[in-house]
Amino acid sequence: MMRSHDSGGSADKQSDTERVRTIIVAGQASERTREVLRALRGFTNVIWPTSLEAALAQAGSGNAGCLVIADDLREEPIDEFLQEARELQRNLPIFVITDPDDVAEAVSAMRHGATAVIEIPPSYAVLCEEVSRAMQ
Amino acid sequence: MKELPQTVFVVDDDDAVRNSLRLLLKSAGLISEVAASAQEFLSNYDAAHPGCLVLDVRMPGMSGLEMQHELNLRGATIPVIFITGHGDIPMAVEAMQHGAFDFLQKPFRDQELLDRVQRALSRDTEYRARLRQTGRIRERLASLSPREREVLDLVAQGKANKMVAGDLGVSQRTVEIHRAHVMQKMEAGSLAELVRMMMAVAPPQ
Repeated sequence: MMRSHDSGGSADKQSDTERVRTIIVAGQASERTREVLRALRGFTNVIWPTSLEAALAQAGSGNAGCLVIADDLREEPIDEFLQEARELQRNLPIFVITDPDDVAEAVSAMRHGATAVIEIPPSYAVLCEEVSRAMQ
Repeated sequence: MKELPQTVFVVDDDDAVRNSLRLLLKSAGLISEVAASAQEFLSNYDAAHPGCLVLDVRMPGMSGLEMQHELNLRGATIPVIFITGHGDIPMAVEAMQHGAFDFLQKPFRDQELLDRVQRALSRDTEYRARLRQTGRIRERLASLSPREREVLDLVAQGKANKMVAGDLGVSQRTVEIHRAHVMQKMEAGSLAELVRMMMAVAPPQ
């Protein structure tokens, strides 16, 4: 299943590049994923694949701008998912949302190819800044 | 030249931590050298010395992260394992983004650190072996004549002798002779091996 996320009417903030490429938010229908989607409500090009296959397919497409892993899409650590996404798109910026103060998970995510790790509750400013930078 | 022994360097301003780490590493049969500050380590640092670095994040004067930055500026490749009692995610992310091998929060189990140290040492060994190999390949490349180098570049692109001859405006027989010299000087047993050597010194983008 894949849903387009509502823009919230802030499309004017985005550059042309941002309009074209996709921000993929991978996650289950959890509160954490909703938090992330709320944080990114200023972007019009957010998609939310809720299956692993759809997320990887989007990550592997030429249109992918960045991938935000809000939640794992299966009952395993995020590392494998990260590795698979990294194999598909070597240069795709990938952000991982982790539990607060879970340094071990953050380090593991970085070792497996994350561009950056942001702890929940996600700082809207940090997340948006990272995503904006990645889309430039 | 005598090879330097693989060493675990420990930089921590806390005497007790330095001593306990030294004893722990010794108990695992590892050679260690300790320093009480970043400055002390950097003033004696020799990039040719194989090993890894266990580095405290918070130290008076130059911090562990600042020292990592300094090592990066010097082009150092030593694997760095950060240890800290006050780590947070932004700090860990910063360290990893700048190339840290690992980031460990105190308190940690002895075995946890030893496992990471062993992995870091293995990576350093692999990296240095690769470096030696590419160094040897570069030496062999330097021994080629300009024409042999031209032939090598075209052959490595997958071109047949006939095409190489056409590109260089020479006879196919001349290409065959140059190619034989290239294989001999490069000590390559096959074209595949030759291509692998070229990729090792200039990986495709």
